[in-house]
Amino acid sequence: MSGAVADGYTGRRSTYASLRLAFLLFMADPQWLIPSMIAPVIFGLVSFELFRGYGHYYLTYAILGAGMMSMWGQTLYGSGWATGQDREFGTLEPTIQAPTPYLYVVLGRVLWNVVSGLLGGLIVYLVVVAAAGSPPALPDPLAFVVLFLFVMLTLAAVGVVFAAFYVYTRYAGFIQNVGEFAFYVGTGCMFPVVLLPFWTNPIALVFPPTWALDALRYASIPGYVGFSWGFWPDIAGAIGTTAAYLLLAGSVFHRVERHVLEEGNLDHY
Amino acid sequence: MALASQDGPAIETRGLTRVFQSRKGFLFRERTRTEALKGVDLTVERGAIFGLLGPNGAGKTTFTKILSTLLLPTDGTALVLGHDVTKETEWLRPRMGLVLGGERGLYNRISGRDNLRYFADLYGVPLAERERRIREVLERVDLLDAADRRVEEYSRGMKQKLHLARGILHRPEILFLDEPTIGLDPKSARETRKLIRSLVSDGVTIFLTTHYMFEAEELCPKLAILSKGRIVARDTVDNLRALIGGDRTIEVEDYGFEDRELAVLRGLPGVSKIVTEEFGPMLRLTLRIRTGETTVDGVRRSLPGHPELAVRERRTSLEDVYLDLVDEEVR
Ligand SMILES: Nc1ncnc2c1ncn2[C@@H]1O[C@H](COP(=O)(O)OP(=O)(O)O)[C@@H](O)[C@H]1O
Ligand SMILES: [Mg+2]
Repeated sequence: MSGAVADGYTGRRSTYASLRLAFLLFMADPQWLIPSMIAPVIFGLVSFELFRGYGHYYLTYAILGAGMMSMWGQTLYGSGWATGQDREFGTLEPTIQAPTPYLYVVLGRVLWNVVSGLLGGLIVYLVVVAAAGSPPALPDPLAFVVLFLFVMLTLAAVGVVFAAFYVYTRYAGFIQNVGEFAFYVGTGCMFPVVLLPFWTNPIALVFPPTWALDALRYASIPGYVGFSWGFWPDIAGAIGTTAAYLLLAGSVFHRVERHVLEEGNLDHY
Repeated sequence: MALASQDGPAIETRGLTRVFQSRKGFLFRERTRTEALKGVDLTVERGAIFGLLGPNGAGKTTFTKILSTLLLPTDGTALVLGHDVTKETEWLRPRMGLVLGGERGLYNRISGRDNLRYFADLYGVPLAERERRIREVLERVDLLDAADRRVEEYSRGMKQKLHLARGILHRPEILFLDEPTIGLDPKSARETRKLIRSLVSDGVTIFLTTHYMFEAEELCPKLAILSKGRIVARDTVDNLRALIGGDRTIEVEDYGFEDRELAVLRGLPGVSKIVTEEFGPMLRLTLRIRTGETTVDGVRRSLPGHPELAVRERRTSLEDVYLDLVDEEVR
């Protein structure tokens, strides 16, 4: 037998393979339409009603609130959930057995979720604009788009760490479901964190999206009062926490794999 | 065998032990401790098919998963192709194929071909060769026509073929097959066995587990028998057959027997063992007779009051030897 390990896996190729698989599974399963297409419409409408009358920039608030709601679900929930599905399908074992580190598989899925999360964000935007009959007043549309993408990336970093939990235990879904609502509110997905009781702020600051979102609001809503330190420290905080998450993910994945091989629960679901 | 790595055994385990501590319940945990492997020493040479035979729960899957780097042993060592399965996973994984089989383990909503593409990428099958390689293995397992249908439309036998195709896609040096024919109808099982036999000619080492003696007999020139986490025999099929010696076997069937009657049978001259099996409403007793003059008529006479009794003598088979060795009833 020749040709074994001829050119080996590469991280980029595995990540792309995983992205492609996520896309194929998405296309094959109509239930995905609910979180990816229908939820953003509903979030958009609810958010529009909620923020109506909150000053000149209420449309931006509405878009950001609903956009984050739907993207949170897509990016973070989707990444972890796919790993939970691997458990359910029994595909986690052959995937772990393959030479590619599982981290690349997760990265591919997170990338796919970023793409479909952006689609959700776009739907929210169109729904809110349609409901209002006019586009939001954006001081700098380009900054808005760039920072929007930036928020997505910080969400993705959280998604990678979450996926590790799904490898770790079959109870991850349960834990995430309980925690999800707290996260929605806590990270300021729906409302700016500064509107929440002060004691929640330190918790929220653990999450990279909190910082990125605050920066996004500073950039797109003139007169916005968020964290007192302002726009640039927000950006620095977002980059810092995101880097920390990615470093954490790198080491966590290695340890999680070791742990599940010790426990022998890869086929449990 | 250009890239095959050195000589030496394909598999070598020393004192391999695995304990499962399982917890039941989420809040109120109850611990149970299962010793699935109790110090397994086993050496398997390269090439050919080696069979690990054992009844359900013997520890076959546990052993296979440890060797294929999906599970860590609690104690002991395991080398595959001369490399430690707990430390050298990066070296080992590309050189191993694993078929756990069953209904699970595949992405059902996409096609067989897309399943293979995904795993070809994860296994690093050369990109330029990928499509050709996929076609090759699909052809080999006779799934080419169904390649672009969703796996959920596949029969159980077709899924098993796809599992096998995935296992050989990256041309592993060693292939682990855990009960590859379990749950298959007789025709698919036969096809699968034929396919497995054809793989040996590629020079790949195949490690196969099964709980069917006839399957081991058909596929594996050498085998080991695992029972309750211990190796109880390690030999060639021919030598195991020699264990039959001059033994005779008499089968007795009826709707039921009393304990008193079993005691009478056990007391017949030369009866060394009685295995009990249920077939729906029927009970079958298999008597191993070492020496002595116990005959079909003698057995019949010692069981009066059984008008429907069926008694017959048959050749002692390897299956009987196997049952002796694992000392368990197989239903
Ligand atoms: N993940 C696990 N957790 C707890 N017990 C397990 C686990 N896997 C296997 N066992 C136990 O270990 C023993 C051997 O199982 P297994 O290796 O699956 O046997 P086989 O494949 O020969 O049927 C059984 O008693 C089984 O219940
Ligand atoms: Mg098994």
